[in-house]
Amino acid sequence: MKKIKDNILLITTILLCLFGITMIYSSSYVWSIYKFNNPYKYLISQAIFFIVGLVLMFILKKIDYHLYEKHANKILLVCIILLILVLIPGVGKIRNGSRSWFGFGPFGIQPSEFSKIGLIIFVSKYLSKNNKDIKDIKKGIFPILSIIIFFFFLIMLEPDFGQGMVIVLSLLLIIFVSGTKLSFFIKCFILGLLCIIGLIIVAPYRMARIVSYLNPWTDPLGSGFQIIQSLYAIGPSGLLGSGLGNSIQKHFYLPEPQTDFIFAIISEEFGFLGILLITSMFMIIFYKSIKISLSSSDLFSKYLVFGLSSQIIIQATLNLAVVVGLIPVTGVTLPFISYGGSSLLVSLMSIGIILGIEKSNKKTDF
Amino acid sequence: MFWQDKQVRIRFVVLIITFLIITIIVKVFYIEVFQYKKLNSLASDLWSRNLPITADRGKILDRNGKILADNITTTSLYLIPNQIKEKEKVTQELASILNVSYEEMKEHVFKKTSLERVHPEGRQLSFEIADKINALNYDGVYLLKESKRYYPYKNLMAQTLGFVGIDNQGLSGLELKYNDYLTGTNGSIKYYSDAKGNKLPVSEEYKEAVSGLDLTLTIDLDLQQAVERELDNVVSKYSPEAALAIAMDPQSGELLAISSRPNYNPNSYQTTSLEILNRNLPIWMTYEPGSTMKITTLAASLNEGVVNLFEDNFYDKGSIEVDGAHLHCWKRGGHGQETYLQVVENSCNPGFVSLGLKLGKDRLFSYIKNYGFGEKTGIDLIGEENGIIFDLDKIGNVELATTAFGQGISVTPIQQVRAVSASINGGTLYRPYILKNISDSTTKQIVLENSSEIIRQVITKETSDMVRFALESVVSNGTGRNAYIENYRVGGKTGTAQKVNNGRYMVGNYIVSFIGFMPADNPSIVVYVAIDNPKGVTQYGGTVAAPVAKAILESYINIKKLPPASDLMPKVYNWNDIKYQVLPDVVGKSLEEAKKILKGYTLEYSGQGNKIIHQSPSAGLYVEDNSTVKLMLSN
Repeated sequence: MKKIKDNILLITTILLCLFGITMIYSSSYVWSIYKFNNPYKYLISQAIFFIVGLVLMFILKKIDYHLYEKHANKILLVCIILLILVLIPGVGKIRNGSRSWFGFGPFGIQPSEFSKIGLIIFVSKYLSKNNKDIKDIKKGIFPILSIIIFFFFLIMLEPDFGQGMVIVLSLLLIIFVSGTKLSFFIKCFILGLLCIIGLIIVAPYRMARIVSYLNPWTDPLGSGFQIIQSLYAIGPSGLLGSGLGNSIQKHFYLPEPQTDFIFAIISEEFGFLGILLITSMFMIIFYKSIKISLSSSDLFSKYLVFGLSSQIIIQATLNLAVVVGLIPVTGVTLPFISYGGSSLLVSLMSIGIILGIEKSNKKTDF
Repeated sequence: MFWQDKQVRIRFVVLIITFLIITIIVKVFYIEVFQYKKLNSLASDLWSRNLPITADRGKILDRNGKILADNITTTSLYLIPNQIKEKEKVTQELASILNVSYEEMKEHVFKKTSLERVHPEGRQLSFEIADKINALNYDGVYLLKESKRYYPYKNLMAQTLGFVGIDNQGLSGLELKYNDYLTGTNGSIKYYSDAKGNKLPVSEEYKEAVSGLDLTLTIDLDLQQAVERELDNVVSKYSPEAALAIAMDPQSGELLAISSRPNYNPNSYQTTSLEILNRNLPIWMTYEPGSTMKITTLAASLNEGVVNLFEDNFYDKGSIEVDGAHLHCWKRGGHGQETYLQVVENSCNPGFVSLGLKLGKDRLFSYIKNYGFGEKTGIDLIGEENGIIFDLDKIGNVELATTAFGQGISVTPIQQVRAVSASINGGTLYRPYILKNISDSTTKQIVLENSSEIIRQVITKETSDMVRFALESVVSNGTGRNAYIENYRVGGKTGTAQKVNNGRYMVGNYIVSFIGFMPADNPSIVVYVAIDNPKGVTQYGGTVAAPVAKAILESYINIKKLPPASDLMPKVYNWNDIKYQVLPDVVGKSLEEAKKILKGYTLEYSGQGNKIIHQSPSAGLYVEDNSTVKLMLSN
C-alpha cells in the first residue's frame, strides 16, 4: 500500500498512457482501415513508442540530474542544430502543412518536441546560476528571453504555432517563478498581444481560426469544421457516453480523430465522467510533480521539475481548451494520449527526469 | 517580500492552472447540458439518414361517416447515391424502366446528396413499374410507400373539397382550409451512416407515420349526390353558363349539400382552368338576386307592421312610377286588384315597391344589413365574397324601390340561403358552416367540435310564422307551383334576375333561381338553386329552377323518410296542371261500395273475396286523378 502511495506519479502516468493507447485504437481503427487497410496501424506505432518511452523514462529516473545542468549548453546546441536541419527541404519532411519532421521509415520525430526539454534545462540552469541578477531585467532576463524568442522564431519557421506557444508559456512561467518583477510580465503580456496581432497580419488564416472559434457556424465547412465536429462528439455524450468503441464521429466525421481532437472522442465514448477522470489524472500528475518541485532544495531542480510539469499541464490545458471551444484551434496534442511518438517520448522523458529528481530529494532528506 | 518567494509563486501558478482546468470542465458541462438539445439534433441530422414514410392525410367524411376524400397507397423511388455501386448500370436500367433519358436519370443517380427522391418521374409509380425496379435488387435503390389522395366520388363537391398537390399538401377548398389538421406527421426509417454514406452497425430507428386528423362535414352524401345528379341534368338539358345549388339546415346553419357547375375531377385537376378550380360559385358568385330578395322586403314589412297580408290591397296596373321612373311588373298589364298575400304569390314588382316605400330606406336597409347582406357569412370555406349593397347616403326613392324587389343589390347565394333561413326558422340568423368536427383517425376521439353559432335575431317568431305561411302559399297558389310536392308542405320563392354587363341589363340572359324549404310548418331544409343563362327554355325561376329544387326536396324526403304531412295547404290548379285529390278510405267496405266511391280511378285487385282489407296508396293521401289504386280482397 505504501508502495502505491509513493509511486502515484508513476502509476498515474502509466495508466494515462494505457488509456491513451486504448483510445488511440478505438478512435483510429476506422481511419486506419481506410488509409492503410489495417486497423492496428496507429495502435502498433503508438505502443512501440510507449515501450521506448517507458525505457527512456526508467533510464532518466536513474540519471543524476546534475548531469543535465553540466551539459545544458551542449543539449541546447544540439536542439538548435536539429531545429535548423529540419527546416532544410529534403531533410525535414512536411506533415499537415508544417516542415517539422525527421522521417525514419514509418516513424517521425519532431525536434521541436525534444527542444522543449533542452530549453527547460537551459533556462533552469541559467536562472539558478543568475539568481541574484533576476531583479535586473536588462542584465538577468533579457539574455535568456532572447534565446527563448530565438527558439520561438525557429519553430515558427516550420511553422508550428501551438508548439511555440507551449514553449514560450512554460518558460515564461519559470521566469515568473524565479522572482522577476511583476511589471515585466505586464509588459510581456502587451508585447505578446502585439506579436499575436502581427502574426495574424502575416498569415490571415490565423484570423479565420479565431473567427471560427468565436462562432464555428460562420464557416461550418472551412475553419469552423473541426470545432463543430468536436462539439458534435461532446454535446450528445451525456454522463456516461456511448461506451468504448461506439463513437460515431470517428467514422470520418472528425478527421484524424486520434490526434489533436482525441479528447472529443473520449468524451463521446465515456461522457462527462470520462472527462472528469482524464482531467483528474492530469491534475494528479501536475500536483505530484509540483510537490517535488516545492520540496527541491536547489534552484536548478526546482525550476526543472516545475518547468517540465507545467509544460505538460499547459499543453494539456491548451489542447482541452481548443477541443471544448474555449480558444481558437492551435494544433497542440494532448500529452500521453494523442497519437504522436515524439510527444509521447518527450512526456515520458519529462516524467522520468522528475522521478529522478524526486529520488535524489529523498536521498538528501535522509 | 511575500511575492518574491519562489514557493509562493509556484503555488500561485498551480492555482491559476487549477482554475483553467475547472473552467474547461465547466465548459464541457455547459456543452453537454445546455447545448445538448441543439447539438444532439444537429449531430443526429448529420449521422442519420431518414428514409421517409409519408403519413396518410386525414379523411374527409360526410355527416354519416361516409368517405368523401380517401387515401390510396402508391410507391415512390428513392436513391442513396453513396450506396449505389454500379452507377452507370443502375442509371441505364432505371432510365429504361421509367422511360426517361439516360441523362435525366444520371442527374439523380450521380447527385451528391444523402438521399435523392426521384421527382417527378419516380413518384407514385404503378405496381408493374415498382415491381420491375424491385426485381433489380440494387443497393441504394429504395422503393418507399407513399400515400396518395383519392376522391372516390370524383367530381362530387369538387370546389368545396378542393384538391392536393403531389406532396399531399392542400391546395384549395377544405383541403387547404383545414390543411394543418389534415396533414399527418411523416414517419421514417432512420439509419446511421458514416461521413462517406456507408451504413453504420447502429440499430435502425423506425418512426411510425401519424395520420392526419379526419374531418367530418355537415354534408349529407346522399343528398349531395342527389344535388349533383340534378345539376348534371340541368347542364345536359339547358347548357347554362353556370349552375349551383345549396342545401342548408335553417335551424342550425349546417350545410347539407353544396355544388356548382362547371366542376372538375380533383383526382386529375391539372387540366382544369384556374377559374373553375378556385371559384366556389355558391359562396363566390355575386349577382342581383331578383325576386328571391322580396322575402327580405316581405319580412321587414311584416316585422315593422306596415302591411296586413290579408286585409291590405294593392292595385297593380303593370308599372309604378317612382320619382319619375317607371318600374314595370314582370307581368305585362299587371295583376290588377290583389291582396298583399297575392302580391307575394304573384311576385308582383309594383306591390313590393309599395312595401319598400312604406318602409322607407332606413328601415329596409337596416333589415338588409341585419340579414347579413353586404358582408361575408363567415362560412368555413375559402373564397367567399361580400356582395354589394347601396351606400345609405346615395339611396333615393328609385334605389329604394328597386332594392325592394331585388335589383341594384348584389349578393352571394350563401347570403340568400342564410337570410331566408333566418326568415323562416323563427327569426334567427346563423353562421353557415360545413365542418362538423375534427377527430383522430385511429381513436375516433373528437379533437375539435364545431357548433352552431347564432349571429342575431332579425325578426320576431310571429313575423317568421307569417313569412313561412306566405311562402308556402307561393308554392301552393303562386309562382312557385312547380315545386309543389304532393302530401308535403313546401314553401319557396322564385327569382329571375337580369344580368348586368357593362352597366346595362342584358337581354334574354338571366340567372333563374328558386329558394325552397320544407316542411313548411317546421323547416329542416332550405334549398337554393340558381341557373345562369339556361338555353332553350323560357327563362323564369318558376319554370327552370323550381322543378330542380323540387327534385332535390323529393330526394330529401326519401333520404330522411319524412312522413307525409297531415294538414296540407292544397294546391290551386291551373287548367293544364295535373289534378290531385284526397284518396277516400275504402278499407272494410264491400267491393261494390268501393267501386262506387273510387269512380274514375283505375282499380287493380289482388286476393279473393268481397271485402276490402287493404288499399294502396292509403287513404288521406293526394293522388293524381285517374291513377291506379290497388285493393286487396278477402272474405
